[in-house]
Amino acid sequence: MKFFLKIFIFVLPLSEAYAEGQKSAGLPQMDISTFPSQLFWLIITFTALYLFMWKFVIPRLSTTIEERKDKISNDINDAENLNSEASKILENYDDKMNSASLESNEIVSSSKATMNEYLDKLKKDNEIKINAMITESEKKIHQQKQQSEQEIKKATIDTIKSIVSKYVENVPSDDEISKKLN
Amino acid sequence: MAADNPIDPIHQFEISKIAEMQIAGIDISFTNSSLFMVFAIAATMTLFILGLSKRSIIPNRMQMLSELSYNFIANMLRDQVGDQGRAYFPFIFSLFMFIFFCNFIGLIPYTFTVTSHLVVTFAFAGLIFLAVTIIGFMKNGLGYLRIFYPSGIPIFLAPLIVPIEIISYLSKPISLSVRLCANMLAGHSILKIFAGFIVMLGFLGFAPLIFLVVLYALETLIAALQAYIFTILTCIYLNDALHPDH
Repeated sequence: MKFFLKIFIFVLPLSEAYAEGQKSAGLPQMDISTFPSQLFWLIITFTALYLFMWKFVIPRLSTTIEERKDKISNDINDAENLNSEASKILENYDDKMNSASLESNEIVSSSKATMNEYLDKLKKDNEIKINAMITESEKKIHQQKQQSEQEIKKATIDTIKSIVSKYVENVPSDDEISKKLN
Repeated sequence: MAADNPIDPIHQFEISKIAEMQIAGIDISFTNSSLFMVFAIAATMTLFILGLSKRSIIPNRMQMLSELSYNFIANMLRDQVGDQGRAYFPFIFSLFMFIFFCNFIGLIPYTFTVTSHLVVTFAFAGLIFLAVTIIGFMKNGLGYLRIFYPSGIPIFLAPLIVPIEIISYLSKPISLSVRLCANMLAGHSILKIFAGFIVMLGFLGFAPLIFLVVLYALETLIAALQAYIFTILTCIYLNDALHPDH
């Protein structure tokens, strides 16, 4: 479609000009007399543009773009460094936390152990002391019991002796009395 | 008469002298074409002077625009040619900016489109063709002739393939220049024709007006697209010259 339109546009003015017997070739594009001027000014303007681009635009633009790339990559590097540093610090912190908790656990368990030891020792000592005291007091009680028994016996014998002496002349000896009492 | 016709679609392409000039009998007058060439490079220079006036790490709008165009062409050249193309970057960049601004300035009513003249586009295409051929022989010696005989083709096809390759190689500057010129010529002529219809149809002119708006958008696209195509084809030809093996 476009192709035919192009042909149409090209051919129409050409045929028109031909029919009217124009001196120019119809299409201004075909007018050779304008070619030197167009080429001359094209060379001048394009050379100027080329020099401008080559010497002015491209060095500046490329340095700006490079600078930006450098800056961005530097910033990314910095950020990565900081990030790794931060993670290192975090790791350190975790390590310290772990070791501290381990240490504290140790301290707690060791102090528990020493406390238990102390308590056990205390208990044992006290048990021994108590046991000693018990046996001692038992001995004392036993002694006192015996003593009092003897005293009671003696008193009884004395009493019996005194009572018997009031009625009987022949007073039995202590041994006889004690034999009888048992 | 064509010149008196107010809606003559070809009138816009006529070259009129502004200042008469001659060197050794050759007419090199400053014409409207020359004026619009100057406008095109002035527009490009303005863009870059404004864009580069306050260079900063965080660009402002104009700097962004100039960096965008720089990166656009630099990436195109890198993708098509690779690192060897760096030496030709100033030319490719200038070429794109020049054609781009010529095409766009030509879209403004009552202006002249420099690139609608075959002699201008052919001057570029011929220069590129000559340069590419010279670069090809300089970089590869006679090995550059391999481009006429692609590898992997059976030898008995050579009598057929080689002339076709030679013809296609020689027609490159013609197709390159005619593509740009014809697109500009046809597009601007159609715009003018439809603009003429608006006037001729009077009240009913709104119908071609709507069409003209759509067409104008299309022509805007074509103006950018043709500058891009011209530049990327130049890159492709350059790549062929630097790497003739593929």
